[in-house]
Amino acid sequence: MIVEKIFNKWILVFLFLIPVLGFIFEEPYYITLTTKVVILGIAGIGLNLALGYCGLISFGHAAFFGLGGYVTGILSFHALNSELMFSWPFVTSGSSEMLVIWPIVILSSAFLALIIGLLSLRTTGVYFIMITLAFAQMLYFFAISWPNYGGEDGLSIYMRNSLPMINTMDPLTFYLICLCWLLIVIFISAKLINSSFGMAFQAIKQNEERVKSVGIETFKVKLLVFVISGIITGLAGSLYTDLNRFISPSVLNWQMSGEIMVFVILGGIARLYGPLVGAAFFIVLEQTLGGYTENWQFWLGLILILEILYVRTGILSLFEKKLKYEK
Amino acid sequence: MKNKILNIKNLSKSYGAFKVTDEITIDLHFDEIHALIGPNGAGKSTLIKQIVGSVKHDIGSIILDQEDITDLTDVERAKIGISRTFQVSSIIPQFSAIDNIVLSLLDKSSKTFQMFKSVRNNKGLYSNANKILKEIELSEKSDISASDLSHGDRRKLEVGLALAMDPKVFLFDEPMAGLDESGTNMMINLFKKIKSNSPILLIEHDMDAVFALADRVSVINYGKIVATGTVDEIRKNELVRDVYLGYEI
Repeated sequence: MIVEKIFNKWILVFLFLIPVLGFIFEEPYYITLTTKVVILGIAGIGLNLALGYCGLISFGHAAFFGLGGYVTGILSFHALNSELMFSWPFVTSGSSEMLVIWPIVILSSAFLALIIGLLSLRTTGVYFIMITLAFAQMLYFFAISWPNYGGEDGLSIYMRNSLPMINTMDPLTFYLICLCWLLIVIFISAKLINSSFGMAFQAIKQNEERVKSVGIETFKVKLLVFVISGIITGLAGSLYTDLNRFISPSVLNWQMSGEIMVFVILGGIARLYGPLVGAAFFIVLEQTLGGYTENWQFWLGLILILEILYVRTGILSLFEKKLKYEK
Repeated sequence: MKNKILNIKNLSKSYGAFKVTDEITIDLHFDEIHALIGPNGAGKSTLIKQIVGSVKHDIGSIILDQEDITDLTDVERAKIGISRTFQVSSIIPQFSAIDNIVLSLLDKSSKTFQMFKSVRNNKGLYSNANKILKEIELSEKSDISASDLSHGDRRKLEVGLALAMDPKVFLFDEPMAGLDESGTNMMINLFKKIKSNSPILLIEHDMDAVFALADRVSVINYGKIVATGTVDEIRKNELVRDVYLGYEI
Protein backbone atom coordinates (compact mmCIF):
# COMPACT_ATOMS: atom_id res chain seq x y z
CA MET A 1 0.00 0.00 0.00
CA ILE A 2 2.95 2.32 0.72
CA VAL A 3 4.22 1.96 -2.86
CA GLU A 4 0.72 2.74 -4.11
CA LYS A 5 0.68 5.91 -2.03
CA ILE A 6 4.05 6.99 -3.45
CA PHE A 7 2.73 6.26 -6.94
CA ASN A 8 -0.37 8.35 -6.22
CA LYS A 9 1.85 11.29 -5.29
CA TRP A 10 3.77 10.86 -8.53
CA ILE A 11 0.48 10.98 -10.42
CA LEU A 12 -0.19 14.40 -8.94
CA VAL A 13 3.36 15.54 -9.77
CA PHE A 14 2.84 14.43 -13.38
CA LEU A 15 -0.49 16.20 -13.51
CA PHE A 16 1.31 19.42 -12.60
CA LEU A 17 4.34 18.82 -14.81
CA ILE A 18 2.87 17.68 -18.14
CA PRO A 19 0.75 20.77 -18.86
CA VAL A 20 3.53 23.06 -17.65
CA LEU A 21 5.90 21.35 -20.09
CA GLY A 22 3.22 21.66 -22.77
CA PHE A 23 3.05 25.38 -22.04
CA ILE A 24 6.84 25.84 -22.05
CA PHE A 25 7.25 23.96 -25.33
CA GLU A 26 4.12 25.60 -26.79
CA GLU A 27 2.23 22.34 -27.24
CA PRO A 28 -1.32 23.25 -26.08
CA TYR A 29 -2.54 19.90 -27.46
CA TYR A 30 -0.93 18.09 -24.51
CA ILE A 31 -2.52 20.53 -22.08
CA THR A 32 -5.95 19.81 -23.57
CA LEU A 33 -5.28 16.09 -23.49
CA THR A 34 -4.28 16.20 -19.81
CA THR A 35 -7.33 18.34 -19.09
CA LYS A 36 -9.47 15.62 -20.63
CA VAL A 37 -7.76 13.00 -18.44
CA VAL A 38 -8.44 15.08 -15.33
CA ILE A 39 -12.12 15.63 -16.21
CA LEU A 40 -12.76 11.99 -17.08
CA GLY A 41 -10.84 11.02 -13.94
CA ILE A 42 -13.26 13.14 -11.89
CA ALA A 43 -16.20 11.36 -13.55
CA GLY A 44 -14.60 8.00 -12.73
CA ILE A 45 -13.95 8.98 -9.12
CA GLY A 46 -17.66 9.83 -8.86
CA LEU A 47 -18.68 6.42 -10.18
CA ASN A 48 -16.03 4.67 -8.06
CA LEU A 49 -17.71 5.92 -4.87
CA ALA A 50 -20.93 4.14 -5.83
CA LEU A 51 -19.50 1.15 -7.70
CA GLY A 52 -16.15 0.56 -6.08
CA TYR A 53 -16.85 1.40 -2.47
CA CYS A 54 -20.59 0.75 -2.10
CA GLY A 55 -21.12 -2.02 -4.65
CA LEU A 56 -23.72 -0.10 -6.69
CA ILE A 57 -23.04 -1.18 -10.26
CA SER A 58 -24.51 1.81 -12.04
CA PHE A 59 -24.58 1.55 -15.80
CA GLY A 60 -26.23 4.93 -16.12
CA HIS A 61 -23.68 7.47 -14.91
CA ALA A 62 -23.70 9.03 -18.37
CA ALA A 63 -27.02 10.54 -17.24
CA PHE A 64 -25.20 12.69 -14.66
CA PHE A 65 -22.26 13.44 -16.94
CA GLY A 66 -24.63 14.46 -19.71
CA LEU A 67 -26.93 16.41 -17.43
CA GLY A 68 -23.99 18.41 -16.05
CA GLY A 69 -22.86 19.01 -19.61
CA TYR A 70 -26.27 20.06 -20.91
CA VAL A 71 -27.05 22.32 -17.92
CA THR A 72 -23.74 24.09 -18.57
CA GLY A 73 -24.33 24.23 -22.31
CA ILE A 74 -27.91 25.47 -22.10
CA LEU A 75 -27.21 28.16 -19.49
CA SER A 76 -24.22 29.34 -21.48
CA PHE A 77 -26.07 29.19 -24.83
CA HIS A 78 -28.81 31.51 -23.55
CA ALA A 79 -26.38 33.90 -21.90
CA LEU A 80 -24.14 34.19 -24.96
CA ASN A 81 -27.10 34.68 -27.29
CA SER A 82 -28.94 36.98 -24.83
CA GLU A 83 -31.98 34.75 -25.26
CA LEU A 84 -34.67 34.42 -22.64
CA MET A 85 -34.42 30.97 -21.04
CA PHE A 86 -37.71 31.08 -19.14
CA SER A 87 -39.89 33.78 -17.64
CA TRP A 88 -41.58 31.87 -14.81
CA PRO A 89 -41.19 31.74 -11.82
CA PHE A 90 -38.47 34.31 -12.57
CA VAL A 91 -36.98 35.79 -15.69
CA THR A 92 -33.54 34.52 -16.68
CA SER A 93 -31.36 34.45 -19.72
CA GLY A 94 -28.99 31.79 -18.44
CA SER A 95 -25.47 32.48 -17.29
CA SER A 96 -21.95 32.15 -18.53
CA GLU A 97 -20.43 32.48 -15.06
CA MET A 98 -18.89 29.27 -13.78
CA LEU A 99 -19.62 30.35 -10.21
CA VAL A 100 -23.33 30.41 -11.10
CA ILE A 101 -23.28 27.34 -13.33
CA TRP A 102 -21.47 24.98 -10.93
CA PRO A 103 -24.01 25.27 -8.07
CA ILE A 104 -26.84 24.73 -10.58
CA VAL A 105 -25.05 21.67 -11.97
CA ILE A 106 -24.55 20.33 -8.43
CA LEU A 107 -28.23 20.84 -7.55
CA SER A 108 -29.59 19.40 -10.78
CA SER A 109 -27.25 16.36 -10.65
CA ALA A 110 -28.20 15.76 -7.02
CA PHE A 111 -31.90 15.98 -7.89
CA LEU A 112 -31.57 13.57 -10.82
CA ALA A 113 -29.51 11.13 -8.72
CA LEU A 114 -32.11 11.34 -5.98
CA ILE A 115 -34.93 10.45 -8.38
CA ILE A 116 -32.99 7.64 -10.08
CA GLY A 117 -31.70 6.39 -6.72
CA LEU A 118 -35.12 6.37 -5.05
CA LEU A 119 -36.43 4.09 -7.78
CA SER A 120 -33.40 1.98 -8.69
CA LEU A 121 -32.05 1.30 -5.19
CA ARG A 122 -35.17 -0.72 -4.39
CA THR A 123 -33.63 -3.33 -6.66
CA THR A 124 -30.27 -5.08 -6.67
CA GLY A 125 -27.95 -6.84 -9.07
CA VAL A 126 -28.86 -6.96 -12.73
CA TYR A 127 -32.16 -5.11 -12.14
CA PHE A 128 -30.28 -2.15 -10.66
CA ILE A 129 -27.92 -2.14 -13.66
CA MET A 130 -30.86 -2.20 -16.08
CA ILE A 131 -32.83 0.56 -14.34
CA THR A 132 -29.85 2.93 -14.22
CA LEU A 133 -29.15 2.16 -17.87
CA ALA A 134 -32.78 2.77 -18.78
CA PHE A 135 -32.79 6.20 -17.12
CA ALA A 136 -29.66 7.28 -18.98
CA GLN A 137 -31.03 6.03 -22.29
CA MET A 138 -34.29 7.92 -21.70
CA LEU A 139 -32.29 11.12 -21.26
CA TYR A 140 -30.23 10.28 -24.34
CA PHE A 141 -33.29 9.94 -26.55
CA PHE A 142 -34.84 13.02 -24.98
CA ALA A 143 -31.72 15.04 -25.87
CA ILE A 144 -31.80 13.70 -29.44
CA SER A 145 -35.42 14.69 -29.87
CA TRP A 146 -35.06 18.18 -28.36
CA PRO A 147 -34.45 20.46 -31.35
CA ASN A 148 -34.16 23.68 -29.29
CA TYR A 149 -30.70 22.63 -28.20
CA GLY A 150 -29.38 21.05 -31.34
CA GLY A 151 -31.01 17.64 -31.09
CA GLU A 152 -28.75 14.98 -32.51
CA ASP A 153 -26.24 17.57 -33.77
CA GLY A 154 -25.52 18.87 -30.31
CA LEU A 155 -25.06 22.37 -28.97
CA SER A 156 -22.06 24.63 -29.50
CA ILE A 157 -21.07 27.42 -27.16
CA TYR A 158 -18.69 29.93 -28.66
CA MET A 159 -16.98 31.11 -25.52
CA ARG A 160 -15.83 29.10 -22.55
CA ASN A 161 -17.74 30.09 -19.40
CA SER A 162 -15.94 32.59 -17.25
CA LEU A 163 -14.54 33.10 -13.78
CA PRO A 164 -13.93 36.60 -12.37
CA MET A 165 -10.47 37.96 -13.23
CA ILE A 166 -9.41 34.69 -14.86
CA ASN A 167 -8.95 34.01 -18.56
CA THR A 168 -10.62 30.61 -18.88
CA MET A 169 -9.93 30.53 -22.63
CA ASP A 170 -6.27 30.00 -21.87
CA PRO A 171 -5.73 26.20 -21.97
CA LEU A 172 -3.32 26.15 -19.01
CA THR A 173 -5.62 28.29 -16.87
CA PHE A 174 -8.62 26.11 -17.65
CA TYR A 175 -6.51 23.03 -16.92
CA LEU A 176 -5.61 24.43 -13.50
CA ILE A 177 -9.32 25.03 -12.77
CA CYS A 178 -10.03 21.38 -13.59
CA LEU A 179 -7.05 20.26 -11.51
CA CYS A 180 -8.42 22.24 -8.54
CA TRP A 181 -11.72 20.39 -8.94
CA LEU A 182 -9.86 17.08 -9.10
CA LEU A 183 -8.01 17.84 -5.87
CA ILE A 184 -11.27 18.90 -4.18
CA VAL A 185 -13.01 15.72 -5.33
CA ILE A 186 -10.10 13.51 -4.19
CA PHE A 187 -10.02 15.32 -0.82
CA ILE A 188 -13.79 14.92 -0.29
CA SER A 189 -13.75 11.28 -1.42
CA ALA A 190 -10.84 10.46 0.91
CA LYS A 191 -12.65 12.10 3.81
CA LEU A 192 -15.84 10.17 3.03
CA ILE A 193 -14.07 6.83 2.66
CA ASN A 194 -12.34 7.18 6.03
CA SER A 195 -15.41 8.42 7.91
CA SER A 196 -18.10 6.52 9.83
CA PHE A 197 -20.33 7.00 6.81
CA GLY A 198 -17.59 5.49 4.62
CA MET A 199 -17.31 2.55 6.98
CA ALA A 200 -21.06 1.98 6.60
CA PHE A 201 -21.13 2.09 2.80
CA GLN A 202 -18.03 -0.07 2.43
CA ALA A 203 -19.62 -2.62 4.76
CA ILE A 204 -22.82 -2.57 2.68
CA LYS A 205 -20.80 -3.63 -0.36
CA GLN A 206 -19.55 -6.69 1.54
CA ASN A 207 -22.59 -7.79 3.54
CA GLU A 208 -25.73 -5.65 3.43
CA GLU A 209 -27.83 -8.03 5.53
CA ARG A 210 -25.34 -7.80 8.40
CA VAL A 211 -25.27 -3.99 8.16
CA LYS A 212 -29.08 -3.89 8.37
CA SER A 213 -28.97 -6.16 11.40
CA VAL A 214 -26.90 -3.63 13.34
CA GLY A 215 -29.57 -0.97 12.78
CA ILE A 216 -28.02 0.96 9.91
CA GLU A 217 -30.51 2.21 7.33
CA THR A 218 -28.76 0.85 4.29
CA PHE A 219 -31.23 2.35 1.82
CA LYS A 220 -30.50 5.88 3.07
CA VAL A 221 -26.75 5.26 3.07
CA LYS A 222 -26.82 3.91 -0.49
CA LEU A 223 -29.05 6.76 -1.67
CA LEU A 224 -26.70 9.36 -0.22
CA VAL A 225 -23.66 7.70 -1.80
CA PHE A 226 -25.49 7.56 -5.13
CA VAL A 227 -26.36 11.27 -4.92
CA ILE A 228 -22.78 12.29 -4.03
CA SER A 229 -21.52 10.08 -6.84
CA GLY A 230 -23.99 11.70 -9.27
CA ILE A 231 -22.93 15.21 -8.22
CA ILE A 232 -19.23 14.49 -8.84
CA THR A 233 -19.91 12.95 -12.24
CA GLY A 234 -22.24 15.86 -13.09
CA LEU A 235 -19.48 18.34 -12.29
CA ALA A 236 -17.16 16.45 -14.61
CA GLY A 237 -19.79 16.76 -17.35
CA SER A 238 -19.94 20.51 -16.80
CA LEU A 239 -16.15 20.86 -17.14
CA TYR A 240 -16.22 18.61 -20.22
CA THR A 241 -18.67 20.93 -21.97
CA ASP A 242 -16.45 23.90 -21.16
CA LEU A 243 -13.38 22.05 -22.41
CA ASN A 244 -14.93 21.23 -25.78
CA ARG A 245 -17.30 24.24 -25.92
CA PHE A 246 -19.73 21.71 -27.25
CA ILE A 247 -22.20 19.20 -25.90
CA SER A 248 -24.04 16.48 -27.78
CA PRO A 249 -26.33 13.55 -26.87
CA SER A 250 -23.38 11.16 -27.30
CA VAL A 251 -22.27 11.93 -23.71
CA LEU A 252 -25.63 10.60 -22.51
CA ASN A 253 -25.30 7.34 -24.40
CA TRP A 254 -24.69 3.98 -22.71
CA GLN A 255 -21.24 3.95 -24.28
CA MET A 256 -20.29 6.89 -22.07
CA SER A 257 -21.51 4.99 -19.00
CA GLY A 258 -19.41 2.06 -20.18
CA GLU A 259 -16.34 4.23 -20.67
CA ILE A 260 -16.59 5.70 -17.16
CA MET A 261 -16.92 2.15 -15.85
CA VAL A 262 -13.85 1.13 -17.86
CA PHE A 263 -11.81 3.96 -16.22
CA VAL A 264 -12.75 2.54 -12.81
CA ILE A 265 -12.02 -1.08 -13.72
CA LEU A 266 -8.76 -0.30 -15.55
CA GLY A 267 -7.32 1.82 -12.76
CA GLY A 268 -8.62 -0.20 -9.86
CA ILE A 269 -12.01 -0.61 -8.26
CA ALA A 270 -12.23 0.95 -4.78
CA ARG A 271 -8.89 2.71 -5.18
CA LEU A 272 -9.05 6.47 -4.80
CA TYR A 273 -6.71 7.27 -7.70
CA GLY A 274 -7.76 4.24 -9.74
CA PRO A 275 -10.22 6.00 -12.07
CA LEU A 276 -7.70 8.77 -12.76
CA VAL A 277 -5.07 6.20 -13.77
CA GLY A 278 -7.72 4.36 -15.77
CA ALA A 279 -8.76 7.52 -17.60
CA ALA A 280 -5.12 8.37 -18.37
CA PHE A 281 -4.48 4.86 -19.67
CA PHE A 282 -7.65 5.02 -21.78
CA ILE A 283 -6.69 8.38 -23.32
CA VAL A 284 -3.12 7.25 -24.02
CA LEU A 285 -4.47 4.13 -25.77
CA GLU A 286 -6.95 6.21 -27.74
CA GLN A 287 -4.22 8.62 -28.85
CA THR A 288 -1.59 6.03 -29.70
CA LEU A 289 -3.57 3.08 -31.10
CA GLY A 290 -6.16 5.46 -32.56
CA GLY A 291 -3.39 6.72 -34.87
CA TYR A 292 -3.08 3.26 -36.42
CA THR A 293 -6.68 2.11 -36.54
CA GLU A 294 -10.07 3.62 -35.86
CA ASN A 295 -11.10 0.33 -34.26
CA TRP A 296 -8.57 0.75 -31.45
CA GLN A 297 -11.18 -0.40 -28.93
CA PHE A 298 -10.40 -3.95 -30.07
CA TRP A 299 -7.07 -3.64 -28.25
CA LEU A 300 -8.77 -1.99 -25.28
CA GLY A 301 -11.04 -5.03 -25.05
CA LEU A 302 -8.03 -7.34 -25.15
CA ILE A 303 -6.28 -5.37 -22.41
CA LEU A 304 -9.43 -5.42 -20.28
CA ILE A 305 -9.71 -9.20 -20.66
CA LEU A 306 -6.06 -9.70 -19.71
CA GLU A 307 -6.40 -7.34 -16.77
CA ILE A 308 -9.51 -9.03 -15.42
CA LEU A 309 -7.89 -12.46 -15.83
CA TYR A 310 -4.47 -11.65 -14.40
CA VAL A 311 -4.61 -8.41 -12.39
CA ARG A 312 -8.31 -8.10 -11.56
CA THR A 313 -8.03 -5.23 -9.09
CA GLY A 314 -6.67 -2.71 -11.57
CA ILE A 315 -3.41 -1.13 -12.65
CA LEU A 316 -2.77 0.35 -9.22
CA SER A 317 -2.82 -3.08 -7.60
CA LEU A 318 0.40 -3.88 -9.50
CA PHE A 319 2.16 -1.46 -7.19
CA GLU A 320 0.62 -3.06 -4.13
CA LYS A 321 1.95 -6.45 -5.25
CA LYS A 322 5.40 -5.01 -5.84
CA LEU A 323 5.54 -4.02 -2.17
CA LYS A 324 4.75 -7.59 -1.13
CA TYR A 325 7.68 -8.91 -3.21
CA GLU A 326 9.95 -6.28 -1.70
CA LYS A 327 9.11 -7.59 1.75
CA MET B 1 -47.50 -9.47 30.53
CA LYS B 2 -45.46 -7.10 32.68
CA ASN B 3 -42.61 -9.56 33.13
CA LYS B 4 -42.45 -10.31 29.42
CA ILE B 5 -40.07 -8.29 27.29
CA LEU B 6 -40.84 -10.21 24.10
CA ASN B 7 -44.23 -11.70 23.39
CA ILE B 8 -44.92 -13.60 20.18
CA LYS B 9 -48.44 -14.73 19.38
CA ASN B 10 -49.62 -17.13 16.69
CA LEU B 11 -46.74 -16.39 14.35
CA SER B 12 -47.08 -18.37 11.12
CA LYS B 13 -45.23 -18.62 7.85
CA SER B 14 -46.00 -20.89 4.92
CA TYR B 15 -44.22 -21.51 1.64
CA GLY B 16 -47.05 -22.85 -0.48
CA ALA B 17 -48.58 -25.77 1.39
CA PHE B 18 -45.53 -26.14 3.65
CA LYS B 19 -45.94 -24.49 7.06
CA VAL B 20 -42.50 -23.49 8.33
CA THR B 21 -43.87 -21.94 11.49
CA ASP B 22 -47.38 -22.82 12.60
CA GLU B 23 -49.09 -20.44 15.04
CA ILE B 24 -46.08 -20.18 17.30
CA THR B 25 -46.70 -18.52 20.64
CA ILE B 26 -43.61 -17.97 22.74
CA ASP B 27 -42.38 -15.30 25.13
CA LEU B 28 -39.19 -14.09 26.74
CA HIS B 29 -39.11 -12.84 30.31
CA PHE B 30 -36.81 -10.21 31.76
CA ASP B 31 -33.57 -11.70 33.14
CA GLU B 32 -34.00 -15.05 31.43
CA ILE B 33 -32.45 -17.27 28.84
CA HIS B 34 -35.17 -19.06 26.92
CA ALA B 35 -33.76 -21.84 24.79
CA LEU B 36 -35.47 -23.02 21.65
CA ILE B 37 -34.52 -26.54 20.64
CA GLY B 38 -35.71 -28.94 17.98
CA PRO B 39 -34.56 -31.05 15.06
CA ASN B 40 -33.01 -29.52 11.94
CA GLY B 41 -35.67 -28.01 9.71
CA ALA B 42 -38.13 -27.62 12.59
CA GLY B 43 -38.47 -23.87 11.96
CA LYS B 44 -36.18 -22.41 14.63
CA SER B 45 -34.12 -20.17 12.36
CA THR B 46 -37.19 -19.11 10.38
CA LEU B 47 -38.77 -18.03 13.65
CA ILE B 48 -35.70 -15.90 14.42
CA LYS B 49 -35.90 -14.41 10.92
CA GLN B 50 -39.56 -13.58 11.46
CA ILE B 51 -38.81 -11.92 14.80
CA VAL B 52 -36.03 -9.75 13.31
CA GLY B 53 -38.19 -8.96 10.28
CA SER B 54 -36.06 -10.41 7.50
CA VAL B 55 -38.82 -12.95 6.73
CA LYS B 56 -42.35 -11.59 6.58
CA HIS B 57 -44.89 -13.52 8.61
CA ASP B 58 -48.33 -14.50 7.29
CA ILE B 59 -50.23 -13.99 10.53
CA GLY B 60 -49.45 -13.29 14.16
CA SER B 61 -48.04 -10.48 16.27
CA ILE B 62 -44.76 -9.55 17.94
CA ILE B 63 -44.70 -7.31 21.02
CA LEU B 64 -41.36 -5.98 22.25
CA ASP B 65 -41.35 -4.20 25.61
CA GLN B 66 -45.11 -3.53 25.28
CA GLU B 67 -44.69 -2.05 21.79
CA ASP B 68 -46.24 -3.78 18.79
CA ILE B 69 -43.39 -4.20 16.29
CA THR B 70 -45.22 -6.57 13.94
CA ASP B 71 -45.28 -4.10 11.05
CA LEU B 72 -41.80 -2.64 11.52
CA THR B 73 -38.99 -3.31 9.04
CA ASP B 74 -35.90 -5.31 9.96
CA VAL B 75 -33.81 -2.16 10.39
CA GLU B 76 -36.45 -0.52 12.59
CA ARG B 77 -36.60 -3.63 14.78
CA ALA B 78 -32.81 -3.63 15.13
CA LYS B 79 -32.88 0.05 16.06
CA ILE B 80 -35.43 -0.39 18.84
CA GLY B 81 -33.54 -3.24 20.43
CA ILE B 82 -33.51 -6.62 18.73
CA SER B 83 -30.00 -7.91 18.20
CA ARG B 84 -29.18 -11.20 16.56
CA THR B 85 -26.46 -13.57 15.50
CA PHE B 86 -26.74 -15.60 12.32
CA GLN B 87 -26.75 -19.38 12.03
CA VAL B 88 -23.88 -19.12 9.55
CA SER B 89 -21.35 -16.47 10.56
CA SER B 90 -22.24 -13.18 8.94
CA ILE B 91 -19.52 -10.59 9.37
CA ILE B 92 -17.82 -7.96 7.23
CA PRO B 93 -14.98 -10.08 5.84
CA GLN B 94 -12.57 -7.34 4.76
CA PHE B 95 -12.90 -5.37 7.99
CA SER B 96 -10.70 -6.10 10.98
CA ALA B 97 -12.34 -7.61 14.06
CA ILE B 98 -12.40 -4.24 15.82
CA ASP B 99 -13.85 -2.45 12.77
CA ASN B 100 -16.66 -5.01 12.70
CA ILE B 101 -17.49 -4.10 16.29
CA VAL B 102 -17.21 -0.35 15.57
CA LEU B 103 -19.66 -0.77 12.69
CA SER B 104 -22.10 -2.28 15.14
CA LEU B 105 -21.66 0.71 17.46
CA LEU B 106 -22.33 3.35 14.79
CA ASP B 107 -26.12 3.49 14.92
CA LYS B 108 -26.36 3.53 18.70
CA SER B 109 -23.88 6.42 18.86
CA SER B 110 -25.61 8.28 15.97
CA LYS B 111 -22.41 8.31 13.94
CA THR B 112 -23.63 6.55 10.78
CA PHE B 113 -23.96 9.74 8.77
CA GLN B 114 -20.87 11.49 10.13
CA MET B 115 -19.05 12.24 6.88
CA PHE B 116 -15.90 14.25 7.30
CA LYS B 117 -14.36 13.00 10.52
CA SER B 118 -12.08 9.98 10.39
CA VAL B 119 -13.80 7.11 12.17
CA ARG B 120 -10.40 5.83 13.34
CA ASN B 121 -9.83 9.05 15.28
CA ASN B 122 -12.99 8.43 17.29
CA LYS B 123 -11.40 7.21 20.51
CA GLY B 124 -14.76 6.70 22.22
CA LEU B 125 -15.98 4.23 19.61
CA TYR B 126 -12.72 2.28 19.55
CA SER B 127 -12.46 2.24 23.34
CA ASN B 128 -15.96 0.73 23.57
CA ALA B 129 -15.13 -1.73 20.81
CA ASN B 130 -11.98 -2.81 22.69
CA LYS B 131 -14.05 -3.50 25.81
CA ILE B 132 -16.35 -5.76 23.81
CA LEU B 133 -13.41 -7.56 22.18
CA LYS B 134 -12.06 -8.20 25.68
CA GLU B 135 -15.39 -9.71 26.75
CA ILE B 136 -15.39 -12.11 23.83
CA GLU B 137 -11.67 -12.83 24.26
CA LEU B 138 -10.61 -11.45 20.90
CA SER B 139 -8.49 -8.51 22.09
CA GLU B 140 -5.31 -9.98 20.70
CA LYS B 141 -6.89 -10.41 17.29
CA SER B 142 -8.47 -6.96 17.05
CA ASP B 143 -6.53 -5.95 13.93
CA ILE B 144 -6.86 -9.24 12.10
CA SER B 145 -9.11 -9.21 9.06
CA ALA B 146 -12.38 -10.97 9.92
CA SER B 147 -11.96 -13.24 6.90
CA ASP B 148 -8.69 -14.54 8.40
CA LEU B 149 -10.25 -15.43 11.77
CA SER B 150 -10.89 -19.08 12.63
CA HIS B 151 -14.45 -20.39 12.61
CA GLY B 152 -14.62 -20.24 16.40
CA ASP B 153 -13.36 -16.66 16.49
CA ARG B 154 -15.94 -15.65 13.90
CA ARG B 155 -18.68 -17.08 16.12
CA LYS B 156 -17.32 -15.00 18.98
CA LEU B 157 -17.19 -11.92 16.75
CA GLU B 158 -20.84 -12.51 15.80
CA VAL B 159 -21.75 -12.37 19.47
CA GLY B 160 -19.57 -9.28 19.86
CA LEU B 161 -21.50 -7.53 17.10
CA ALA B 162 -24.73 -8.29 18.93
CA LEU B 163 -23.31 -7.13 22.29
CA ALA B 164 -22.19 -3.82 20.80
CA MET B 165 -25.78 -2.89 20.03
CA ASP B 166 -26.74 -3.00 23.73
CA PRO B 167 -30.20 -4.27 22.74
CA LYS B 168 -33.38 -5.04 24.67
CA VAL B 169 -33.23 -8.71 23.64
CA PHE B 170 -30.69 -11.02 22.06
CA LEU B 171 -31.62 -13.67 19.53
CA PHE B 172 -28.70 -16.07 19.30
CA ASP B 173 -28.81 -18.67 16.54
CA GLU B 174 -26.41 -21.50 17.38
CA PRO B 175 -23.69 -19.23 18.77
CA MET B 176 -21.66 -22.15 20.07
CA ALA B 177 -21.61 -24.19 16.88
CA GLY B 178 -18.02 -25.17 16.13
CA LEU B 179 -16.57 -23.72 19.33
CA ASP B 180 -14.07 -25.70 21.36
CA GLU B 181 -14.63 -26.37 25.06
CA SER B 182 -12.99 -23.19 26.28
CA GLY B 183 -14.93 -21.13 23.72
CA THR B 184 -18.19 -22.73 24.82
CA ASN B 185 -17.39 -22.07 28.49
CA MET B 186 -16.57 -18.47 27.69
CA MET B 187 -19.93 -18.10 25.94
CA ILE B 188 -21.81 -19.75 28.80
CA ASN B 189 -20.26 -17.38 31.34
CA LEU B 190 -20.83 -14.39 29.08
CA PHE B 191 -24.50 -15.24 28.48
CA LYS B 192 -25.11 -15.71 32.21
CA LYS B 193 -23.61 -12.27 32.78
CA ILE B 194 -25.51 -10.37 30.08
CA LYS B 195 -28.97 -11.90 30.48
CA SER B 196 -29.85 -9.57 33.37
CA ASN B 197 -29.48 -6.57 31.05
CA SER B 198 -30.85 -8.16 27.91
CA PRO B 199 -32.64 -11.51 28.00
CA ILE B 200 -31.72 -14.11 25.43
CA LEU B 201 -33.72 -16.30 23.08
CA LEU B 202 -31.21 -19.03 22.34
CA ILE B 203 -31.22 -21.60 19.58
CA GLU B 204 -28.59 -24.21 20.30
CA HIS B 205 -27.91 -27.85 19.52
CA ASP B 206 -25.34 -28.28 22.29
CA MET B 207 -27.66 -29.74 24.94
CA ASP B 208 -25.05 -29.47 27.70
CA ALA B 209 -24.83 -25.75 27.06
CA VAL B 210 -28.62 -25.42 26.84
CA PHE B 211 -29.20 -27.23 30.12
CA ALA B 212 -26.42 -25.23 31.80
CA LEU B 213 -27.85 -21.91 30.64
CA ALA B 214 -31.59 -22.01 30.04
CA ASP B 215 -34.16 -20.84 32.55
CA ARG B 216 -36.87 -22.18 30.25
CA VAL B 217 -36.80 -24.38 27.19
CA SER B 218 -39.27 -24.61 24.32
CA VAL B 219 -39.24 -27.47 21.87
CA ILE B 220 -40.27 -26.90 18.27
CA ASN B 221 -41.13 -29.62 15.79
CA TYR B 222 -42.63 -29.27 12.30
CA GLY B 223 -43.10 -25.55 12.96
CA LYS B 224 -45.09 -26.04 16.17
CA ILE B 225 -44.13 -25.54 19.79
CA VAL B 226 -44.69 -28.95 21.33
CA ALA B 227 -43.51 -28.23 24.87
CA THR B 228 -42.33 -25.39 27.07
CA GLY B 229 -41.00 -25.65 30.60
CA THR B 230 -38.02 -25.59 32.88
CA VAL B 231 -34.99 -27.69 32.09
CA ASP B 232 -36.18 -30.44 34.45
CA GLU B 233 -39.68 -30.44 32.96
CA ILE B 234 -38.30 -30.71 29.44
CA ARG B 235 -35.90 -33.47 30.41
CA LYS B 236 -38.78 -35.51 31.80
CA ASN B 237 -41.16 -34.81 28.93
CA GLU B 238 -41.69 -38.04 26.98
CA LEU B 239 -42.92 -36.28 23.86
CA VAL B 240 -39.74 -34.19 23.78
CA ARG B 241 -37.62 -37.29 24.12
CA ASP B 242 -39.52 -38.81 21.21
CA VAL B 243 -39.26 -35.88 18.84
CA TYR B 244 -35.82 -34.50 19.66
CA LEU B 245 -33.71 -35.72 22.54
CA GLY B 246 -34.30 -39.38 21.72
CA TYR B 247 -32.95 -40.53 25.04
CA GLU B 248 -33.32 -39.81 28.72
CA ILE B 249 -30.93 -37.20 30.09
